[in-house]
Amino acid sequence: MPAFRRTERRKSMAERRPSASYIPPVIPPLSGLEKPNSHSLNMDQCDILILGTGLVESILAAALAWQGVNVLHIDRNKHYGDSCSTLTIDQLKKWSMEVNAGRMAHFSDAQIYIPGGKHNNTFTSKDYGVDLCPRVMFAQLDFLALLVKSRVYKYLEFQSLSSFHLFENDHFRSKLSNTTKEEIFTDQSILLQTKRALMKFLKFVLQDNADESKQELLRNNSNTPIEAFLKDNFRLESPQTDELIYSIGLCNAKGTKTPEALARIKRFLVSFDVYGNFPVMMLKYGGPGEISQGFCRSAAVADSTYKLDTRLVDFDPQEKIAKFNDGSSVKINEKIVVSPTQTPKFLAKNYAELEEKLQLFTVTRLTTIVRNDCKEWIAENETSAIVVFPPNSLPTNNQYSVQVLIQNGGSGVCPVGELIWYSHTSEPNSAKAKEDLESAYTKMESSLIRESEADLEGVLDESDFTVSHQGTPILVNSFKLGESLQNFLPKKTLDIVCKIGYVQTTYINPDLSNVLLDKKQTGNISSLTVKDSSDILFLNMPSSEVSYDGIIGEVKLLYQRITGSDEDFFDVDFEDDDEDYSQAVASASAAIDSELAIEDSDYDPSHHEPFGANEMEL
Amino acid sequence: MSFAPSTTSVKLVLLGEAAVGKSSLVLRFVSNDFQENKEPTIGAAFLTQKCTVGDRTIKYEIWDTAGQERFASLAPMYYRNAQAALVVYDITKPASFIKARHWVKELHEQASKDITIALVGNKYDLVADDNDSDDSLRKVSMEEGKALAEEEGLLFFETSAKSSHNVNEVFVAIGSKIPEAKPVTEELGSRPGNVGRIDLSGPALRSNLSDCAC
Repeated sequence: MPAFRRTERRKSMAERRPSASYIPPVIPPLSGLEKPNSHSLNMDQCDILILGTGLVESILAAALAWQGVNVLHIDRNKHYGDSCSTLTIDQLKKWSMEVNAGRMAHFSDAQIYIPGGKHNNTFTSKDYGVDLCPRVMFAQLDFLALLVKSRVYKYLEFQSLSSFHLFENDHFRSKLSNTTKEEIFTDQSILLQTKRALMKFLKFVLQDNADESKQELLRNNSNTPIEAFLKDNFRLESPQTDELIYSIGLCNAKGTKTPEALARIKRFLVSFDVYGNFPVMMLKYGGPGEISQGFCRSAAVADSTYKLDTRLVDFDPQEKIAKFNDGSSVKINEKIVVSPTQTPKFLAKNYAELEEKLQLFTVTRLTTIVRNDCKEWIAENETSAIVVFPPNSLPTNNQYSVQVLIQNGGSGVCPVGELIWYSHTSEPNSAKAKEDLESAYTKMESSLIRESEADLEGVLDESDFTVSHQGTPILVNSFKLGESLQNFLPKKTLDIVCKIGYVQTTYINPDLSNVLLDKKQTGNISSLTVKDSSDILFLNMPSSEVSYDGIIGEVKLLYQRITGSDEDFFDVDFEDDDEDYSQAVASASAAIDSELAIEDSDYDPSHHEPFGANEMEL
Repeated sequence: MSFAPSTTSVKLVLLGEAAVGKSSLVLRFVSNDFQENKEPTIGAAFLTQKCTVGDRTIKYEIWDTAGQERFASLAPMYYRNAQAALVVYDITKPASFIKARHWVKELHEQASKDITIALVGNKYDLVADDNDSDDSLRKVSMEEGKALAEEEGLLFFETSAKSSHNVNEVFVAIGSKIPEAKPVTEELGSRPGNVGRIDLSGPALRSNLSDCAC
């Protein structure tokens, strides 16, 4: 029987390799037309084939396409974004199953929890857009500049984020990081001496890097942990240093080397007041997943071909013919770029060989959607906030910081009145990482409950002593008795819509040292050559970094490997004769005059033509 | 608010089978004589065109599919916040009409509920002269189109991008069906669309980017 099968199959091989230009001679009747995905790729050739529509791949596709490279861009999933998709709850469920079935390389251990049944926990899956890899955008960053240069910003909506909270000694603080220099001086809780030291340090960070004394100090401390550097040179100690390092700097762990930590702190400081009184922006409707879609659209405008739900099943390196699961074959003139989660079976061995040369890092994530609007933590007119649990701040004695990104319904990622908490840590031990994340979740939960209960103070009276089902009296308004007594009461919990945790691995170092542009980009997967097949390029899984730092470095590296140079990277002469752009330029110069460019919906539109006033324009 | 109340901006998306003339329709609309715009701009994220309807101006922000419809690879971003859609078919190709039904269904699933949809049978120029002859190229009758439009509550037009027949009429009709935009100041909280929106007035502000201190 096997032999018989084999001859059968051999016959059908020809059918599985139809000529690439195959077009049905007659348009088939109704059947098939209702399913637009039934078409196979009817193209003979392309220059570059890209597997996966994640952020790096999508930017790369657009960059190549605008230089006239013929790109075929596919994804095995039915949605855009690959490892950094923005998913609905239904898609998340399916994704978790894929992860746990081992079909999603570098992801493992997906746990999804949706409490209640259909009656107790009603939600519309489509109302949610959960990022697999959420990020914040610093206003002063090469990434934002790229969004402008590529015009992809036109597809996106930006919102400001100015609340950075630091959790310490069982309390949330947000002093330093969301205040201006002036406010540091008027803050009564900081000693004058500390204020002076802080100002001296901030001045040092913002000082020109070409300054000789600064250079020397940096040289002498290239391996010094930032904590020691701050203590020895600026007499700064905890808690101020924690804010500088973990909140402002968003460092992952203790002992971050001084140059890296300073770069991170500077990133925050120079991003302030670029567009307004905030350092960071968030995207509406989802972060990296949304940007991926924008770049894919840009690439499509530049003539790239897109097909989702499609896999590469074979590639003949001599003939350079790629075969897909829809039955089509396409000649690949140049190279194939492969996202690790999309690696076809026949390349698994090549990928594994490369992996042996690299150090693996872990990112553990816990994302929770809760029915609470958390007004206390999010600044007025904003929709998101950052909460950081520095090392050793949690009962689990966390060794790495836990960074939490909070977005409410105003950001379009969930219904109004709800929140998404994205937490992650780069703790290498995933079991420990999960404990840390759960602990951080519990802290936020109890803090939130405490705060919302406090809101009820004065509203309740004696009638609030209620009787439970068991007949025991419950003191509802016990918060009046003080915080400590609350612990004796049955614990209230937040109303959870959905909770999902997963572990991801990557070859990008959490300090980004192996992908940043100005560093040597070695020791990451995009810099390695596949043995016997130089036409195949792999790229990295997303890093644990909470910002978009390091993304462009990787894209440019791949771009350079494909085209030989990154000089013409997005060097496109867009003919922006359209009035929006001239307006944008005009408003940009107006903003320079005022040195303040925040423009929310209350912005006086007199600088604008009517259309620009309610539009997100650069 | 000194917000010019007479201008409403409308995101309009195009849908339809490949080669039914979606782009041509839009090009005809944006380059028509009564408009001042010229050729489409290279790299423009979307085309824009103003259109006067009664006493107000509608500014269309027109999203072409950029070929992403061929394999049903349109991203959620495409449908999001679209206030109007043109579902285009070719009146000489019955398959494209069937596909139009699919796109209408897709819009009902993906787009906002109050979207204004116009069903457009294009390439009217091919049948304009021979409406009564037996060997007419017309394969989808006007009645079929009308029936679908009525059934689904769509606007309906037969157009020719080539001769510009009915092209402006489509956009004027959509414009008059689009509700007037609410003043932005109203209900800030309940309209998530406007919470803390930033106008990034040009990174040219600080162009010498250096994200590293060392």
